[in-house]
Amino acid sequence: MAISKNISTLMKNSSWIRAMFEEGEKLKKKHGAENIYDFSLGNPITEPPEALKEELIRVASSDAKGMHRYMTNSGYDDVREEIAQYQSEITGLPFTKDHIVMTVGAAGGLNVVFKSILDPGDEVIVPCPFFVEFMFYIGNHNGVIKLVDTKDDFHLDIDKIKAAINKKTKAILINSPHNPTGVVYNEAELLELIALLQERNQKGQRIYIVVDEAYKKIIYNGTKLPILPNMYDDTVAVTCHSKDLGLAGERIGYIAMSPRIRNVRSLIDATIFANRILGFINAPAIMQRVVAKFQRSSVDIMEYQKKRDAIYNILVESGFEVVKPAGAFYIFPKSPIPDDIKFVKTMLQHHILTVPGVGFGKPGYFRIAYCVTMDVIEKSRPYFKEVGESLRNGQQ
Amino acid sequence: MIISREMNKLIKDQEGWTRRMFEEGIRIKKMYGLDAVCDFSLGNPDTEPPVALQNALIEMLTKPEIGMHRYMSNNGYEDVREEIADYLRETHGLPFQAGHIFMTVGCAGGLNVILKSILNRGDEVIVPTPFFWEFKNYINNFGGVTKFVETTEDFQLDIRNIEDAITKKTKAVLINSPNNPTGAVYTEESMKQLASLLNAKREQGQDIYVITDDAYKKLVYDGIHVPNVFKMYDLVLSVTSHSKDLALAGERIGYVAISPSIKDVDLLVSAMTISIRVLGFVNAPALFQRVAGKFQRTSVSIQDYEKKRDTLYAILMEAGFECVKPQGAFYMFPKSPIPDELEFVRTLQQEERIMVVPGRGFGREGYFRIAYCVPMEKILKAREGFLRIGDRYYSGGK
Repeated sequence: MAISKNISTLMKNSSWIRAMFEEGEKLKKKHGAENIYDFSLGNPITEPPEALKEELIRVASSDAKGMHRYMTNSGYDDVREEIAQYQSEITGLPFTKDHIVMTVGAAGGLNVVFKSILDPGDEVIVPCPFFVEFMFYIGNHNGVIKLVDTKDDFHLDIDKIKAAINKKTKAILINSPHNPTGVVYNEAELLELIALLQERNQKGQRIYIVVDEAYKKIIYNGTKLPILPNMYDDTVAVTCHSKDLGLAGERIGYIAMSPRIRNVRSLIDATIFANRILGFINAPAIMQRVVAKFQRSSVDIMEYQKKRDAIYNILVESGFEVVKPAGAFYIFPKSPIPDDIKFVKTMLQHHILTVPGVGFGKPGYFRIAYCVTMDVIEKSRPYFKEVGESLRNGQQ
Repeated sequence: MIISREMNKLIKDQEGWTRRMFEEGIRIKKMYGLDAVCDFSLGNPDTEPPVALQNALIEMLTKPEIGMHRYMSNNGYEDVREEIADYLRETHGLPFQAGHIFMTVGCAGGLNVILKSILNRGDEVIVPTPFFWEFKNYINNFGGVTKFVETTEDFQLDIRNIEDAITKKTKAVLINSPNNPTGAVYTEESMKQLASLLNAKREQGQDIYVITDDAYKKLVYDGIHVPNVFKMYDLVLSVTSHSKDLALAGERIGYVAISPSIKDVDLLVSAMTISIRVLGFVNAPALFQRVAGKFQRTSVSIQDYEKKRDTLYAILMEAGFECVKPQGAFYMFPKSPIPDELEFVRTLQQEERIMVVPGRGFGREGYFRIAYCVPMEKILKAREGFLRIGDRYYSGGK
């Protein structure tokens, strides 16, 4: 066979996504792309801040030599210095440049972390619903994903997590603000989680909290994101600037390893080494220099909040059952019928493209990515209503 | 343990001497100052990207297009892939289309994407030695097994050795020509022999890929050309980066070119799409995809490299070293005057403040690698040191 067995299994598993995608494309052709309301992709339409674009020009025009050469695998010293300073500011912990490793986005960062910490058969707990790529990032390095259901409001179910922890547990991977639900874990539940992990720690088992912070700046109504490294020593945070700075295609992010991790140096060395041998080598040079200066900036969050409010209202008006998200740009309503794939297909007939919950390990729901223009959201309103009504009238 | 046992083993595997050498190098640089040290240990070219490229980059950023920093399809921008296909059609005389090109995060990223896509656990990949050490790590990432095969005295492919190394588990032969660390460019004749060997295997029902790491393909001297392996064999995957030819090493941009003769190209592209996603690359950096598309026919000055090669080679000959004259890349791989090259490299570093890499870092003891992608002054400056050390080991040279 031309390709590996592993990959062909992965391909089969995602074949329905492809089928759905193709159906969407067909509809776009038939009715015109502008008449199809595509909420299926987490590819934000927002542009990077103007100041960032200017900085990019400045960096590209610099006379300095060596701007595009290799640097150390962990990234430029001065860039990591600036990021460490920002991390120190937020956490009050003594982050230095050594605790920061620049990566090819958060996806790259997570692969580097798992390559560094997982032995074959080691388990990583992931609250469900979840971003399905996590399964691959863990599986790539021969780890085993242990999915644990969250509560009805998508918050952590501590009892279930407790039941899932065993001797093989190496890490718990959390993503907050969360894709696909938009939930932000609060301090109380995180403290409960940490108490669980500390219990294990006292018995000599170290369990990392690996936190995917891709959406950390996209958070609404003054919701506060708890500062995990302050609460738990073995915290590894992975961030990217795809969303907060609108740089998804440029693949830039970083790993921040808490200075409180015992023997953190060997973890740092392992991540730098993993960054090399996984073929990333280093994060793209020019973007490293640019993002260093924009740690405290982000795209307009109010814009996202307005969109969140608009789509939430549309859904509620149309009769959907939905948890109001506190962050990210996703909303995860309940499907009015148990079969979410069938429902998403029905929505297609009403010109709305979404992703079935089964794609996030949670059948019976569907995901709307509202990182689209307000215009698309507003125009979709009658169609959501139409679907809502037709379902209430039993005309599926 | 704070890191995985596997990772610990991998790090230990190569840390010993590299780290000691590296730290010793830092110590010497501190003690004598950067100017006094001739560092030939890194394949990090000191060249700058062509001026036209730098201007194009600024132009692109000054007139930004909406959406130019967003995600695109995982295999890269279609128009960029079309530009590259066009270049390959012209240079290779084969019907490359955009669909045969897959943009990657450099060569290293491209190789990992390919290996993830084709290797089952336990599958073997044949690698001629001396070799770029990372190949072993890349293959190991996906449970593959590296089968090392010695090259000939002059670092050319030894087809008989390759033939002996092929088993039922062989999935690919990974070739790097121009070669790191030897600078050898495999001859047309040897590539044809390899192709006919693999074609014979195909007739027996075993499909073996030829994966070519073409990172140095534009850096060839003496007017030679890198053989067009696409025309000799069907199952070819070529991986290229623009780290060397456009001096963009830090920007991580490259691509995979899939032979138009591969029938299952759609299947392969689907597999690679999943691989690039799940390995966390997602896509090649957007900005430099656009840049790369426009500069396929450009490269940094090859003459400069050729002059450096000639100068360094002359120095080594004068000093009495035994060395195969390289025809490409920016490496030279002379024989160490004593069997223990580690000892020699240490002496060179401590006494002459010349830094090179011991051959065991490339799977070949008794040799050492000189990376001459440095300013010409450094090469000239190192002359005396090489002559002195040659004098010492070869008692007056040959």
